[in-house]
Amino acid sequence: MLTAVKNQVRVCVLSIKYNIMREMLNKVTFLTNICFMALNNAAFIIQWVILFHLKKDIGGYTMKEVMLLWGLAASTFGLACILFDRAFSLPDLIISGKLDAYLVMPKNVLLSVITSSTNTSAIGDFLYGILVMCIFSFSVGRFFLFLLFSAIGAVIITAFALMMGSLSFWFVRAELFGDNMVNCMISFATYPDGIFHGKVRFLLYNIIPVGMAVYQPVHIMMRFDLGSLLTVLGYAILISAAAVFVFYRGLRRYSSSSLMAARM
Amino acid sequence: MKAIQAEGLAKTFRVKQKEKGMKGSIQSVFHPKTEEVRAVDGVSFSVEEGEVLAFIGPNGAGKSTTIKMLTGILYPDGGKVEVLGIDPVKKRKQLAYQIGTVFGQKEQLWTHLTPYDNFKFFAAIYDIPEREADARIRELGETFALGAFINTPVRNLSLGQRIRCEIVASLIHRPSVLFLDEPTIGLDPVVKENIRQLIKQMNKEFHTTIFLTSHDIGDIEKLCKRIIIVNAGRIVLDDSMQNLKYHYLNKKIVEMKLQEETTLAPMQGIAVLKEKGCHVKLEVDTTKMRINDALAHIDAEHVEDINISNVPLENIIMEIYKSEKGADGGLA
Repeated sequence: MLTAVKNQVRVCVLSIKYNIMREMLNKVTFLTNICFMALNNAAFIIQWVILFHLKKDIGGYTMKEVMLLWGLAASTFGLACILFDRAFSLPDLIISGKLDAYLVMPKNVLLSVITSSTNTSAIGDFLYGILVMCIFSFSVGRFFLFLLFSAIGAVIITAFALMMGSLSFWFVRAELFGDNMVNCMISFATYPDGIFHGKVRFLLYNIIPVGMAVYQPVHIMMRFDLGSLLTVLGYAILISAAAVFVFYRGLRRYSSSSLMAARM
Repeated sequence: MKAIQAEGLAKTFRVKQKEKGMKGSIQSVFHPKTEEVRAVDGVSFSVEEGEVLAFIGPNGAGKSTTIKMLTGILYPDGGKVEVLGIDPVKKRKQLAYQIGTVFGQKEQLWTHLTPYDNFKFFAAIYDIPEREADARIRELGETFALGAFINTPVRNLSLGQRIRCEIVASLIHRPSVLFLDEPTIGLDPVVKENIRQLIKQMNKEFHTTIFLTSHDIGDIEKLCKRIIIVNAGRIVLDDSMQNLKYHYLNKKIVEMKLQEETTLAPMQGIAVLKEKGCHVKLEVDTTKMRINDALAHIDAEHVEDINISNVPLENIIMEIYKSEKGADGGLA
């Protein structure tokens, strides 16, 4: 059992390593992608500086907290797309029959699939997030909590993307709905949760898991609470289990395809 | 021992139907229609260990769907299947350690990596220790003559070189059964022949069971001793190549160059396929006329050159595809 887990981890690490090697084939494109993504994110700081000049408090957040929110959102999505980028393009694999290659391997299909691609610009997101946290609200404890929540958040977001992507096993063109839901999560993650009330707040903490992936961790980093941390951790385990269940249920309906395809 | 055993294997796909044009698109939103397509319809067969089997049929006959069910890619709707005594549905991972797959139309290799790095990755997938992996890569590299390009990124290789690498990648874990789905598609005749030789050698040296689907008659003729023909999801013929030729090669093609232009009198059992100047091509049905009688009818004195050959296997298989008997499963 332990050997099987070790071998699975070895293959996943190799896969991620090869993905990054592929992205590094063109050094200039690789570096500019990372830099411009970080720069793109930084542009939003100006927007928040202007807003906080007009109002001291937005949804219970100060400038420092908003920057922490931005930093965590960027790092969380960045890490998810560095390690598990394929979870975000699962419908393409399902529709064009590209899961075949993973199904003939003696390894966990889900892990093999989601670690089979990486997104270069996500490295820029991840580094930007850490940098913003260090500039605006650094402390040693917060730094390690930030890394922990980036990892937990990445798992929650990946699990959500997986569930949305798995809809393509059942419905034609479900990728449109899935993409919208994932994009919706990304958009909401960059605004303080205090500005949302009622049904929207319920939605953000239950249906779209941005509350547990980003908002709650920010609250914990500002005012540490072990109970909340364990709740977030429990939620991550629960949503991951749900995603695994949905994916494997869907896989039973996988119909492959005769389209010509190459592993790029 | 049986390497593959399938009983009443079936798979149905639900395919969305839509009327033509924009009106049809709008209608399909409110009243979606689906149709059930029975891709594989109760297929039963078995393959012995070390056997080389051709599993052929026209496009859409259910070949690839069958292979995908045998390898655990697709879940069958009905029937029972065992490969090396393992149920692909229940023990997909366990089976994957013992089978290899090459899909000619789908690459499994990472195109930015060299074949060597790809083989190392596949070795890791199959839990092969580093040192053993290196030894196997060296051994297979020599057998498949990969030396000249083993360190060239896959994207820079020719199609033939790439297919050779695909086959090596699928053999790195020494599978007992190898599924080849159109392995020679798009290759030139020289490379095709090369690949066939390698497959033959592999079967001989490692006693690997080969399950081959191909539209290339050359692959089938040169590699396989047994043939299964499927059409419309059903087996229409399951026989040895020898029997197939014996039963179906009852027509001979006679090509002649005559001394002068002649018009042959029509005769039962002889069909003129082509007549151009002094060149004549006939088909003689040996069930109706002996070949000797046919030659006597032609008047051999005026023949300058003659060639008698069998009807190409390709034509025989096309006949089986087309025959109503075949479509009804009557030949199985």
